[in-house]
Amino acid sequence: MAWPLVLLFAWFLGERLHQIWRVPRVSSYVAVGLIASLANLPGLTSEVPGLPFLANIALSLLLFELGYRINLRWFRHNPWVLALGLVESVLTFALVYIASGWFALEADVRMIIAALSISSSPAAIVRVANELRSAGQVTERVMHLCAINCLLSVLALKLLVGYWTLSTSGDLIAATLGSVYALSTSIGMGVLAGVIVPWLLRRPNTHERGVAVVFALAVVLLTTMSHGLMLSPLLAALVFGIVARERRVHLTNAQRGFGTAGDLLTLFLFVYIASLLDWASVGSGLVLGLVLIAVRTASKVGCSVAAARLSGSTERKGLLTGLALTPMSAFAILLIEQTRIYGFAPAAEVLALMAGMMLVQELFGPVVSQRSLMAAHETHVTQADGQITRSAL
Amino acid sequence: MPLETFKSSQPLTLGVELELQLVNSYDMDLSSSANDLLELLQRKPFPGVVTPEMTQSMIEVATDVHTEHGPLLAQLQTMRDTLVRAGDRLNIEIAGGGTHPFQRWFEQRIFSKPRFEELSGLYGYLAKQFTVFGQHVHVGCASADDALFLLHALNRYVPHFIALSASSPFSQGVDTLFDSARLNSVFAFPLSGRAPFVLSWDEFAEVYFTKMESTGVVKSMKDFYWDIRPKPEYGTIELRVCDTPLTVERAAGLACYLQALCRHLLERSEPPPEEDDYLVYTYNRFQACRFGLEGQMVNPKTRERISIREDILATLRLLQPHALALNAHAAMDEIERTAGRDFNHASYLRRRYAETGSVQGVVRASVDALRRRPG
Repeated sequence: MAWPLVLLFAWFLGERLHQIWRVPRVSSYVAVGLIASLANLPGLTSEVPGLPFLANIALSLLLFELGYRINLRWFRHNPWVLALGLVESVLTFALVYIASGWFALEADVRMIIAALSISSSPAAIVRVANELRSAGQVTERVMHLCAINCLLSVLALKLLVGYWTLSTSGDLIAATLGSVYALSTSIGMGVLAGVIVPWLLRRPNTHERGVAVVFALAVVLLTTMSHGLMLSPLLAALVFGIVARERRVHLTNAQRGFGTAGDLLTLFLFVYIASLLDWASVGSGLVLGLVLIAVRTASKVGCSVAAARLSGSTERKGLLTGLALTPMSAFAILLIEQTRIYGFAPAAEVLALMAGMMLVQELFGPVVSQRSLMAAHETHVTQADGQITRSAL
Repeated sequence: MPLETFKSSQPLTLGVELELQLVNSYDMDLSSSANDLLELLQRKPFPGVVTPEMTQSMIEVATDVHTEHGPLLAQLQTMRDTLVRAGDRLNIEIAGGGTHPFQRWFEQRIFSKPRFEELSGLYGYLAKQFTVFGQHVHVGCASADDALFLLHALNRYVPHFIALSASSPFSQGVDTLFDSARLNSVFAFPLSGRAPFVLSWDEFAEVYFTKMESTGVVKSMKDFYWDIRPKPEYGTIELRVCDTPLTVERAAGLACYLQALCRHLLERSEPPPEEDDYLVYTYNRFQACRFGLEGQMVNPKTRERISIREDILATLRLLQPHALALNAHAAMDEIERTAGRDFNHASYLRRRYAETGSVQGVVRASVDALRRRPG
């Protein structure tokens, strides 16, 4: 009973706060999740079977949507955007690794924290951008950089897991299985789905809603298969979206976010993610968290500003792009949670260590993204749901 | 404020303005990106003029003053290439076409909020149809009276331009069955349609305009949305009925067809224009909008009925000597191909819709057409 009630409450709170102060809905969902986890409501634990799976599906749908917005041709026409994404990711990894050295942490834990810090939260970014119906250079760049961040973050983490397996067990096969195999198979599955599904849909009479349903089901299938084969559902979904877009089957804008079902899953995702955080470890990790947030933000903003003019935008928009990349939690938490489920021992420790960082990022990250897009004037002048102002009558 | 004096300009010179769509590359909806594009474009000299429009998802480009088809087309192509390249750098697609097939207007970001709110407050749902994209062609006139003569002598040919340029069959996600749905939006505005039948500039400025101004309805020529209107400060008349075609080649062809036609009319070998010509004007215009080249028009002088396609082909034969004098053979070929074989861009878009089954596919086709000529 607890879950549906909490979700219902989160939804009402999200709408209300959005109306009053334009708080991004996802931030309200997170807040409710955090309170729920504090109150330790029965049934609100990650031990309930099926919930992590559902959360993965929710995030995978958002990753598919993100992938679908990625235009590979853009990287050819404007290599600076790709270069920015790669350099920024590597720099963020290095800086976070160095900064975490100021705290008494082991090297492999620091590396994992650094790998996770590369990522930005596609869930928060896509939802905030959709909520604002934003369009423009900041929006485009945030989407593309976020996708690069996520890809590299998964890549780095899987390689680290492989390295860890090798160094602890000396089992080369298990190590390869944990990293190279997982990576290549996840990508391969995404590519395969990205080719087959659009091919199936390549009939002029496929109904527009049908397109969204088939894509959604394909994402569910990918997630299920990934669980069975111990792969990365997130990576597969992202690659699926990228490849599917290249095949040019068009999703209509009415299908953005997969409609009502998408809203429902997102609501669940954010409440669930927040409820995973362990309050006991938040306090102890708060200083570490704040330092890491500062370093990560500085790296993203710095790179983005430096590359802004070269890549055809302005410094101001570069700054806002860097800031809009602030959210990172949903993706990082699910990613590390996934690795824990697949038997990666340090995952639990990392999750606890980063709890403070995640908490702050989850609650305030979407707000930073939202305000950045608003400051970039990329949101729309929409009077609530298309009502026209009557001022001049 | 009285109407400014009509500035004389070199007769038959041409200037072309195109309103273009900015489209995102993932779901082909209009993209409010004019600011970003203009910011990038201003870093280098632009081969022409580029200006923002009322909505952020539209930009307008204008050529210099030209006398011949070749240089006009060359400039339009250079402008197109510059725009497309800038768009590529910013992940923005650029397209022609008179309407965006499925945009939802209230999601478009507006350039100047107060002006827009004033307009939407005044026009209500009509303002919703404001996001349409047209080609305007200016033709230079030696005198103000020449301008008014041409403006009215052209009335019989207005359906030609509507039918040839029509590229807006889709609106709000559906096939409107019109070849130019855009013009329906324009016609809804109170001061649209034809100019009053006045052939002397003195009478136009001192009687008609002064009276209109005293009603408080208009303040300047800009408040008239006529199909053809004089532009005193340029010394031109401006033909405004054309949809923005999908290609700049068609745009240049249309401009030079108009140029040759004006040269022909200025010889004054045809019976002079009269008020009664306008008896069939709105009927002909409707036929051109609805059926394009297949439309039937009534000749205002002979009262004969003829298909617009036939009338264009006959007019092209009549214009041959003028095309020769104006070096406009390539333009006449473009118009002849359009009327006789390839049809207008509205049919082209309908064929793409039949192939792809989606309005997104239609926008994709428009985007590709601007980059390279469609077959």
